[in-house]
Amino acid sequence: MERHKKILEYSLSSLSRRKYKNLSIIVVYTLMVAFMASILFMTHSFKEEALSVFTNAPDLIVQKVTGGRHDLIPVDYIQFIEKIPGVKSATPRYWGYYYDATTDGTYTIIGLTENREELKLVRGAMPASGGECAIGRGIMEARMAYIGGEILFFDSKREVLTLSIAGIFEAESDLLTNDLIVMRKEDSLRLLGIPDNKATDLAVEVYNETEVNTIARKITFNLHGTRPITKNEILRTYDSLFNWRAGMIFAVFIGPLAAFCILVWDKATGLSAEERKEIGILKAIGWDSSDILEQKLYEGAAISLTSFLTGIILAYIHIYFFDASFLAPALKGWSVLFPSYRLMPQINLYHIFSMFFLIVVPYTAVTIIPSWKVSVTDPDVVMR
Amino acid sequence: MDTIIKTTGISKIYNPGMPDEMRALSDINIEIGREEIALLKGPSGSGKTTLLSLIGCMSRPSEGSIFINGKDVAGLPERFLAEIRRKTFGFIFQHFNLIRGLSALENIMLPLYPTNIKISEIRERTETIIMDFGLLDKKKTLVERLSGGEQQRTAIARALIGNPDIILADEPTAHLDTKLSEELLEILFALNKKGKTIIIATHDPFVYGRDMIGRIIEMRDGTIQEVTGSS
Ligand SMILES: Nc1ncnc2c1ncn2[C@@H]1O[C@H](COP(=O)(O)OP(=O)(O)OP(=O)(O)O)[C@@H](O)[C@H]1O
Ligand SMILES: [Mg+2]
Repeated sequence: MERHKKILEYSLSSLSRRKYKNLSIIVVYTLMVAFMASILFMTHSFKEEALSVFTNAPDLIVQKVTGGRHDLIPVDYIQFIEKIPGVKSATPRYWGYYYDATTDGTYTIIGLTENREELKLVRGAMPASGGECAIGRGIMEARMAYIGGEILFFDSKREVLTLSIAGIFEAESDLLTNDLIVMRKEDSLRLLGIPDNKATDLAVEVYNETEVNTIARKITFNLHGTRPITKNEILRTYDSLFNWRAGMIFAVFIGPLAAFCILVWDKATGLSAEERKEIGILKAIGWDSSDILEQKLYEGAAISLTSFLTGIILAYIHIYFFDASFLAPALKGWSVLFPSYRLMPQINLYHIFSMFFLIVVPYTAVTIIPSWKVSVTDPDVVMR
Repeated sequence: MDTIIKTTGISKIYNPGMPDEMRALSDINIEIGREEIALLKGPSGSGKTTLLSLIGCMSRPSEGSIFINGKDVAGLPERFLAEIRRKTFGFIFQHFNLIRGLSALENIMLPLYPTNIKISEIRERTETIIMDFGLLDKKKTLVERLSGGEQQRTAIARALIGNPDIILADEPTAHLDTKLSEELLEILFALNKKGKTIIIATHDPFVYGRDMIGRIIEMRDGTIQEVTGSS
């Protein structure tokens, strides 16, 4: 025990002796870890966000397609769907997008028939009657709105629709509510230009999830021009989209990775004459190969762990306090998918462990190889 | 005579089987008595350093046996050799071989790091030795900032920290002026009086002809020419 303690002490003092060299290694190493972790945290956050949105999604969505376009669906289709065995409920959904020229933003409009649980309010109340609405934080900021205030829209006939703000959203997931405006059904019909007997789509809940495909098939077969989309299909689409994005980012990541590899290569291929001599001296005065390896291992591990932890912390700060602003230019595409919103901190131990085993362990192993080669040779070279 | 070191038929071949194969020692048979001062003497390239490194367990002979305190060490695994180097031998190298960037104190403590001796005890021992060598006010100084004489004393102190029985010195006066050379010899002789066996490899005439030297081993071309003064 004493022995290891002293060897450890010596390793740490050795690190500080070669301050500049080791600091430069730590800097490159940390940046690489921070970069990699940023990407992982970010894609992971996106995925989690999307998942939390879609687990609340209905089992089945039925759309109508006319000429390949998404069309409004007749509400009376519900009567047929509800009769299919295994269907728990079918409800019309009223939603769409509203382009606001003054703020150059596109808002998502949802018309309420009954209250939706997954939308949690931060302040105020959900719209209880026509003429009221609840809005997302992004819109609140863009329009400088407040509870009790009014918000103006132009409906599909260019007439003014004035709604009073009853509440502001603070959902678990900003992704869902940031650009959201929720109002009563009748106001949404006006705003979106939907006739009384139509809806945007139908949400279908089933009793048994394994029957969902059979039910979907029955719907397409009997209701001409409908397209049912199951929850699983939606999840899969998003998943592959996320993975593809992550792949793109990894291409960007090749730069720091290459720098890191050069660094490792440099370390792996040789020791300076001074380092060799030091190993020789230590052996000559009574250290054996395993003591020297132990010392080098501590050095490598100290560098690795410091860089790794700093990198992870930097990545965390970068993503969650700076909204990934350093990576954002490389990731413009994300904004096509999602408007700017705040990521929820998600630490995934699996990712941290896999990065640990992919970076720290190989680095430490590779960098002690040259030391090992020197340490097993006879120390009599120091006598020349 | 109580023999502390004995070699039987040792030879050393560098790079065996390679084009640059080099036979540095052939069939060396010597004995060195306990508490004796022995001198390895011979021209450059005669194999003094090679023999010293074999005796000091820094490398292994190609043939033959080396007995230290009656025990054959030639075939021992690396781990034991390191321990023997630490416990039995103190080395004084031609170029001091101190580790730059460390203080005199740390350099002296270094041999005892891979042991289970408490750091506080190592520090105590080191302080005592440092005092003996008059390095007390320099103990925190980095070794590269020490004068030649101070570096030399630091190197000797490091050789002594493990309280070895045998001190091996390779060309210890090579880089020293007359005054420091004399000082060094006095230190070595004093250590001998305290019971240390001392082997000096040198071709410096300044060292020759001292009364204290008990045995002179003359080497040439990797062989023993003549041994004088053995009892
Ligand atoms: N690692 C090595 N590889 C090949 N040859 C070596 C090696 N070490 C020493 N030699 C050769 O072995 C011979 C003996 O060398 P050694 O250093 O023992 O001589 P020396 O008597 O100590 O000489 P000097 O007085 O110059 O120090 C020399 O010819 C040298 O070139
Ligand atoms: Mg020599």
